[in-house]
Amino acid sequence: MTINFRLNGNDTSVELAVNKRVVDLLREDLQLTGTKEGCSIGECGACTIIVNSKAVNSCMLLAQQLEGCDVITVEGLSDGEKLHKLQENFLKYGGIQCGFCTPGMLMSAYALFLENPKPTVDDIKTAIEGNLCRCTGYKPIIEAISASANS
Amino acid sequence: MKNYDLVRHVKGESKFVDDILTPEGCLHAYVLYSQIAHGNIKSVNINTALQMEGVEGIFIAKDIPGENQIGGIIQDEELLASCKVDFIGQPIAIVVAKTVALAKEASKKIIVDIEELTPVIDPRVAFEKGELIMPPRVFSLGDVEANWDKCALIVEGTVESGGQEHLYLETQGAFACPVEGGGVKIVSSTQSPTTVQKTAAKVLGLKMHLIEVDVLRLGGGFGGKEDQASQWAAMAAMAALKLNKPVKLILPRQDDLRMTGKRHPYSSDYKIGLNKEGKIINYEVTFYQNAGASADLSPAILDRTLFHCTNSYFVPNVKATACSCKTNLPPNTAFRGFGGPQGMFVIEAAIYKAAEKLGIDPCLIQEKNLLAEGDEFSYGQKAEQCMAKASWESAISKFNFPHLKKEIDEFNVASKIVKKGIALMPICFGISFTTTFLNQASALVHVYSDGSVGVSTGAIEMGQGVNMKIRQVVASVFSIKIDRIKNETTNTTRNANTSATAASSGADLNGKAAQLACNNILNRLKDAAAKYLSLANSDQIEIKDEVIYYENKPTRLLWNELISSAYMQRVSLSSHAYYAPPGIYFDKDKAKGKPFAYHVYGTAIIQVAVDCLKGVYEIESVKIVHDFGKSINKAIDRSQTEGAVMQGIGWMTMEELKYNENGRLLTDALSTYKVPDIYFAPKEFEVEFLDNPNDSLAVFNSKAIGEPPFMYGIGAYFAIMNAMKSYKPEKHFEIISPMTPERLLLSLYN
Ligand code: FES
Ligand code: FES
Repeated sequence: MTINFRLNGNDTSVELAVNKRVVDLLREDLQLTGTKEGCSIGECGACTIIVNSKAVNSCMLLAQQLEGCDVITVEGLSDGEKLHKLQENFLKYGGIQCGFCTPGMLMSAYALFLENPKPTVDDIKTAIEGNLCRCTGYKPIIEAISASANS
Repeated sequence: MKNYDLVRHVKGESKFVDDILTPEGCLHAYVLYSQIAHGNIKSVNINTALQMEGVEGIFIAKDIPGENQIGGIIQDEELLASCKVDFIGQPIAIVVAKTVALAKEASKKIIVDIEELTPVIDPRVAFEKGELIMPPRVFSLGDVEANWDKCALIVEGTVESGGQEHLYLETQGAFACPVEGGGVKIVSSTQSPTTVQKTAAKVLGLKMHLIEVDVLRLGGGFGGKEDQASQWAAMAAMAALKLNKPVKLILPRQDDLRMTGKRHPYSSDYKIGLNKEGKIINYEVTFYQNAGASADLSPAILDRTLFHCTNSYFVPNVKATACSCKTNLPPNTAFRGFGGPQGMFVIEAAIYKAAEKLGIDPCLIQEKNLLAEGDEFSYGQKAEQCMAKASWESAISKFNFPHLKKEIDEFNVASKIVKKGIALMPICFGISFTTTFLNQASALVHVYSDGSVGVSTGAIEMGQGVNMKIRQVVASVFSIKIDRIKNETTNTTRNANTSATAASSGADLNGKAAQLACNNILNRLKDAAAKYLSLANSDQIEIKDEVIYYENKPTRLLWNELISSAYMQRVSLSSHAYYAPPGIYFDKDKAKGKPFAYHVYGTAIIQVAVDCLKGVYEIESVKIVHDFGKSINKAIDRSQTEGAVMQGIGWMTMEELKYNENGRLLTDALSTYKVPDIYFAPKEFEVEFLDNPNDSLAVFNSKAIGEPPFMYGIGAYFAIMNAMKSYKPEKHFEIISPMTPERLLLSLYN
């Protein structure tokens, strides 16, 4: 089947099998490998992308469900060479070690900002509760998101 | 100073194994594994599966061209089970197909007939049956037997510590591509490219030089990819060579959880004796390590349990015995701390129980027994540049421990259900591979004719920041901008015979090798500069911020011009250097020596709040004074500390591996195996850098950071115990970890 949707601001049309998951569509067909797969069952958040302004786990979504949607992946976060403030602050506050959880974290945080530009620390925690990081201990991630909220 | 690796991470541009653009026609492998923990293989029938559309090949033990053997320390582990299976998750067949889904589908059509035998899950049962990986190991100091009489208090008990899943967010995987001449190039998510190379060579019956292993970065390792990355790489390589096509093998999460080894569970018996003043006179301990089905790294891990069995304390008489017990679980393996945490947990438990007997705070016993300069460890090494007391005292005063304690006591008087607890956790961790020969590293530095620099070492970047530290070393030796320097991939054709990036030693060893390589080039550059500037000798030449100085005065010569002049003068702009730290040795038979280049010290104060009706708890604060030596990069070291502590607390509290009596892992998904999430992160986290005036053996007098802070996590366990104790002061709790909310309630109300 063919589906049409917006991907990182561009009209996109793809031919796909009905049972293809979004994470596979992005990573395999569109070579957008910034979106990671960590668990395949909706528990780690590494595959988080934004669909119609909401954070979703792309491992749990069928690609055909994207028809007509507006999709943002980590590759669409920066404005060319200019990093988004979230990206800047993840760098500044050391919210990244191995980097495997990073794209998902950024997407969850970005979705939070779309909904609530001035989130509290509790809001931030709720937004990334489904994103696991095995490296950092979370402190710098919260700091990075908080700093972005306050700028 | 931008860290380009990290910039790529935030843009989603960094590549992990599964992200590499594969060539057209790349095949995918899926591994079929045993569903039985112990049994004899009667037959494996692949015929139906092989007929399936899209299936390109299926390989079982008899198809292995070389040796069916992947054991490192002991040759006791097959790549593919041939006649018996020893754990659920043991690989039996490699299915290769056009897609992963097809390969997995085909694997279901393979019929494996296994005659079941009774599995052994408990290490003590294995010990009773004489199922040991190797003979027990004993470390001793002084004379325990002769001194029990002198003890005013003797406490005995048992301690259980659970295993731990690494949960590197990137699962195990490799990509293999045949190359001309019958060789293969492997991209692997491994902490040890040389181990992958050796293992693949053995399995394939090829010389090592026909196998190139390349590693860009890892999405976490934590020890789980030190020895256990090799089999997947060897399988992909074998399939690639057999089919003459590129093959990718990425473990799905659930398979990774089921098939790979974890931190070793331990069961231990201790007996501790103290004199009237609270000084520990005697410590006798026996560790039963649950090794799983084969040796893997268990023997070395067992030794580290013994090395650290007295933690940060001086004990004049020690007898420590450790038994590596063979069970029908996946072979347990390296995990941050490498057996040290399990050893340290037991002595902390012993101290806790002794304090309970005396009716005093355990920290009084801890404090009284801290190591002092010159004290001897049970393995014969003396504590040098000892920071045990310094870090303890600094933590007590910086964070005003008496005040924290008072606040908690007051809170507990007023609060009936929620109780708070606090505990101190000092650590002492030895740095070096205790298998002495592994302490070696090499670096290859190229300065290109345009002034840019490439550095290759044996170090693997897995999030711990080793690449950045090595770039800092290079930038500092040459005194050039860090942007000029690029970390190359870790590749066996550039750095051969490398040791794993493990034992916290990645930056220590590889950083030193890089420093030596840069110095070689720098000396040549100084001669070239002298020639260019028509100076008689190069002694007074220096580079400062890319400007060439002579006798402390800037010359007109800059880095770029110097490099192009040196090139035209036909000066070599490359150097390969090798580093092996001097002065370390260990006699395994006598269990004596000086195995460590140095020790890392520190003290943590951990505070928790426990809801004694619901069993849930919160980590309120973690406050640490840690000996970083002279840190090269404080941001990285701080972040390593926080992450390690979080993982240590996870191990002690919420992370629980459950197996049933058939040896099946029940917690085989992220929905059932819980690791700390954002809500579990400590509400307050403070890390102070202890002033350390001493020089260390590591690069630029820094100190290794990867593992030591993990063990602060043990403090969380005892903080929870203290809170429970204030709820039920009359109760004596068993020491069993992890202290999950479920166990906490059972302990309180049983
Ligand atoms: S991969 Fe989708 S949530 Fe883990
Ligand atoms: S940085 Fe490695 S999982 Fe978060």
